[in-house]
Amino acid sequence: MSDRGNFDMTVMPDQEERTHSRGGVSLPKAEQTTTAAAESDPMQCCEAVIRAKSFSLYYGQTVGVKDVTLDIYRCSVTSIIGPSGCGKSTLLRSINRMNDLVPSARAEGKLEVAGTDVYDRRINLVNLRQQVGMVFQHPNPFPKSIYDNIAFGPRLQGIRRRSRLDEIVERCLRSAALWEEVRDDLKKSALALSGGQQQRLCIARALATEPKVLLMDEPCSALDPIATGRIEELIGKLRDNYSIVIVTHNMQQAARVSERTAFMCMGELIEYGLTRDVFTNPQQKRTEDYITGRFG
Amino acid sequence: MMRRIMRHVLDRLFTGSAAISVLLMTLSLALILGMIFWRGSSAIVFSGTVEWRRMQLGRFGRGDPAKIEAEVEQAARARQPVYEILDEFGQGLDPDALTRQANHIYREYRRQIRNRIEDGRLDNEDFIPMRNAARDVRNDLVAAYQSIDQEEILNLLDAVLARRDDEAFVGTTAEGFFELAEQYGRVVRGLDLSNREIYAESYLEVRNLIRRLFGPRPGEETPPLERLRYGATRWDEAHDALHEIMWLEEWVQVEPGQPLEKTLVPRRDQFEGTPMAEVFDLLDHDLDSMLNPRLTIYLNYFTDAANPEGVFGGAGPEIWGTFMLAGLAIAMSLPLGLVAAAFLVECTRGGPLVRMLRMCINTLAGVPSIVFGLFGLAAIVMVFQPRVLGWEPNSTTLAGGMTLALLVLPMIIRASEEAIRAVPRSYREASLALGAGKLRTFLTVTLPAALPGVLTGVILALGRAAGETAPILFTAAVFVGGWATSVQDPTRCLPYSSYQFATSDRLATRSPHIQWGMIMTLVLLVLVLNLTAIIVRWRISRRLRGG
Amino acid sequence: MPRNELTMTEGSESAAAAGFDRSLLLTPGRDLAGYLGRGIGWVLLTTVACASVMAVMLIFVFIFKEAWPFLTGGRVMEFFGSTAWYPARDDEFGALSLFAGSAYATAGATLIAGLLGVSAAVFLSDIVPFRIRQILKPVVEILAAIPSVAYGFFALLVVAPWMQDTLGFTTGTNILNVTVMLSIMAVPTVVSIAEDALTAVGRNLREGAYAMGCTRAETLVKVVIPAAHSGIIAAVILGMMRAIGETMLVWMASGNAAQVPSPWWDLSQSVRTVTATIAGEMGETERGGVHYHALFALGLLLLTITFGLNLVSEYFLRRTRRRQGTGG
Repeated sequence: MSDRGNFDMTVMPDQEERTHSRGGVSLPKAEQTTTAAAESDPMQCCEAVIRAKSFSLYYGQTVGVKDVTLDIYRCSVTSIIGPSGCGKSTLLRSINRMNDLVPSARAEGKLEVAGTDVYDRRINLVNLRQQVGMVFQHPNPFPKSIYDNIAFGPRLQGIRRRSRLDEIVERCLRSAALWEEVRDDLKKSALALSGGQQQRLCIARALATEPKVLLMDEPCSALDPIATGRIEELIGKLRDNYSIVIVTHNMQQAARVSERTAFMCMGELIEYGLTRDVFTNPQQKRTEDYITGRFG
Repeated sequence: MMRRIMRHVLDRLFTGSAAISVLLMTLSLALILGMIFWRGSSAIVFSGTVEWRRMQLGRFGRGDPAKIEAEVEQAARARQPVYEILDEFGQGLDPDALTRQANHIYREYRRQIRNRIEDGRLDNEDFIPMRNAARDVRNDLVAAYQSIDQEEILNLLDAVLARRDDEAFVGTTAEGFFELAEQYGRVVRGLDLSNREIYAESYLEVRNLIRRLFGPRPGEETPPLERLRYGATRWDEAHDALHEIMWLEEWVQVEPGQPLEKTLVPRRDQFEGTPMAEVFDLLDHDLDSMLNPRLTIYLNYFTDAANPEGVFGGAGPEIWGTFMLAGLAIAMSLPLGLVAAAFLVECTRGGPLVRMLRMCINTLAGVPSIVFGLFGLAAIVMVFQPRVLGWEPNSTTLAGGMTLALLVLPMIIRASEEAIRAVPRSYREASLALGAGKLRTFLTVTLPAALPGVLTGVILALGRAAGETAPILFTAAVFVGGWATSVQDPTRCLPYSSYQFATSDRLATRSPHIQWGMIMTLVLLVLVLNLTAIIVRWRISRRLRGG
Repeated sequence: MPRNELTMTEGSESAAAAGFDRSLLLTPGRDLAGYLGRGIGWVLLTTVACASVMAVMLIFVFIFKEAWPFLTGGRVMEFFGSTAWYPARDDEFGALSLFAGSAYATAGATLIAGLLGVSAAVFLSDIVPFRIRQILKPVVEILAAIPSVAYGFFALLVVAPWMQDTLGFTTGTNILNVTVMLSIMAVPTVVSIAEDALTAVGRNLREGAYAMGCTRAETLVKVVIPAAHSGIIAAVILGMMRAIGETMLVWMASGNAAQVPSPWWDLSQSVRTVTATIAGEMGETERGGVHYHALFALGLLLLTITFGLNLVSEYFLRRTRRRQGTGG
């Protein structure tokens, strides 16, 4: 993993520079998929990984997400903001079908991940969820050792060889910037870690299944500012290899970490665009009201 | 103002009565547990006598044989005077036996002189006078035995003893006559012979009690019943026996016109003036050295089997049987209960099926234990065993275990359901988000996290199954028998043996340590299980509180 | 290994392009297998989960089956109409005396356990500080955990001799003894359920009452207990069920004389309960005889009564739950 020493998390990063400077880093495929169109329109810089087409999700009679159409692009950070109860978490959880846990949930329209409709009856949930990782609002490591937490996903894939597991655990912990802190206590219970460490462990755990997309559901809302800073720093590092979708109610955070921002309200997608556009020049009245703190 | 005081007083009264009810509960718990442990502990910690050590050596081969041998030897020496007095006195009380003895000596003497004639040491003519002399002596002796007039007896005995130096008797078995006469003379001098019958009765009692105290005399034949082979193995038993020896229970008219009252009369008074009186003094003073009591901690109580009479030994087979029954019950009900709990939490959200399931669980929890027993008898013993397993329709451990499994099933379901419900949703979500299936998630994440809670339920169910008696009355329990070796055997178990020892066993009522030891073991077992459960639960709640 | 079965379907081209190296769609075979597996798994799971349903049904069926010959034997009138229970000697099956015995023991125990239990529950839920409550709760639990045979043992070997020697009763195993011991046994059940009900009332009601100047007693008697009444009723009923179904203790402490006490208020007489009769006589009776079936008829009666009581208690418990708004 390359480390960008100059990354400044407190200042709103220059999106233009960021999207272009990612070229040479560890993704060889990135070059060939970047189209000329992307150069001209920053919204189209690379192809969409997740594509919602008039997607709606209902909980019984209640509307969770209504008629959302948006594309989420590869190897970038997309944030979804909006007042609480606006359906941003629901949308996020629809992407890897976590809403299945709610028995009354019902989906309409299309929600495609890498061109496959997620609500297809033939969907391979295991492969979907392993390639679309998720990090939750509250750090939720299993009450097992740190090692076993990370190894949980690879073991599901049938990896049993100790050396291979060791390697994965180290790589993921390094990716999550946790390796230096826990390298000597891999056998310790994950519950003994601090909140921020636990959340980074959860990110590492999600990375262990080699996802392409990482869904983050308010990953910092349960953390203190310092831990939040470290997570954001981590997101900055991960953006090169993963498509990250982050739900947050913290607008500064959205502005700090994401390239694109979607604003949702009452289950509907109000506005979607490059972060700096949404924040500096919102097209919709409601977006502006929300961003300027008039409601929400 | 009045009203306010009234209200205040009523409030205080209310609080007080509530406090009293809790106090009553705590007190009754303390009383019951205290009584059971206090009396039951005598099965394990007590003062063991030399007889105890002899029994341990004889039955279980425990202890250093040489040491115990020496101890027995020493005790036997201390007991010797008692036996001597007893023997001597006893002879005086049984004229028929003495007569037989005299006759025996006479016959022996005759044979002796015949042998001497054959050897040529005596002439043929000597036979008749010698025999006649011996006959005379014998007749005098027998007359003395049969008489109850002291003076006459003493005269007769004098007559016998006068012929002691008769050369016909010197160096022959006839010398036994004079020994007998001397002995009898000693006995008769301190004895009111008109009361011979009463003496004999009391003497026999004392003799039996001393047998209870010391066991069979050295050199005596070993009795077939094991409990008769040893004396008082415990110091408190010895004391009970001693008390019975020293004091005679009598119903006495204290005041005329009043009903008779039970009083204790020192037995020594009865024998006052006779050599027997000394026995009481000896026992009173030297019982210590005769039995050599020593503090004994008998931890093997929990592993030893009692003998068929239930006297020596411990609660080993009962504990084993109880564990077997409870273990079988848990082994059968845990999988069922876990699956049912998992089903209730993970697979369904309401609906008629769940409502029926819950109603059945509650019903099952409310079925009286004796009805479980009836069901076990009617369904498992009488139908399942012969038709499915091909066994005889008898009590078996398996039938008891199955019956108990049904009994604890609701407990296990409820505890597991609660434990599984208590597992944070986030664990499940994390696992699902990593691509694990529902079954995988349950087995690798939810179940391990719920395990302490399930374990608490299992421990409590184990305690319940161990303590229940009614369901195994007709399905598994027996009172006699050894270690149950297979599930096809019926078994002894703590609760049923406790019941039997409490109600019907005559021997046990005489030795409280057997009665109370059994119930103490049961209560101890249940208590340990429950305390473990409480501690496990406390640790879980602390962990949850502590985050 | 899932990554090996890389199948090219419609979306897979762009999937591969987006870096998704594992197919997001199931192969038809795996789809079918998963479908079947889920179906079979669900059926299996439901079957196993319903073991308790089956157990309840089997219990009813078997007890009823064994009681049937007696019920159809034309002796039901005698069963419910006579007090003469001499099955072995005179072939008489008048169970009224047994019902009387059970009624005496249960009524007395329910009364004492109810009063004691509810006031103890009040004490635990409203009066003592949390710390002491943490100590007292295990007392209740252990009281509930002590096996009934231990209570019976205590009743027979401690209480009965004491009653005989100190109180001068003719027999120590009598109604009084069995009632007192049975209520000690049933108290924990009442306490734990009643305490749950009282705690569930919540602080709002209490604070409201205190705010109006009520003393603690008034708050509890006039507000909290009425609010928790269905839970308390359920607690008493469950305590009663425990008392009715109890076997070992009543067997050991009741004296086992099948008679209706006369005069009725004389608690120093021995009685015999339904449960003790079953426990005591089943061992001696010939399997398949009239006596055997009569004992099963007693069992059936017991089962029916407890089942009914259970339904009633569940009704009350459901009412408390509904009021708390937590649903089923």
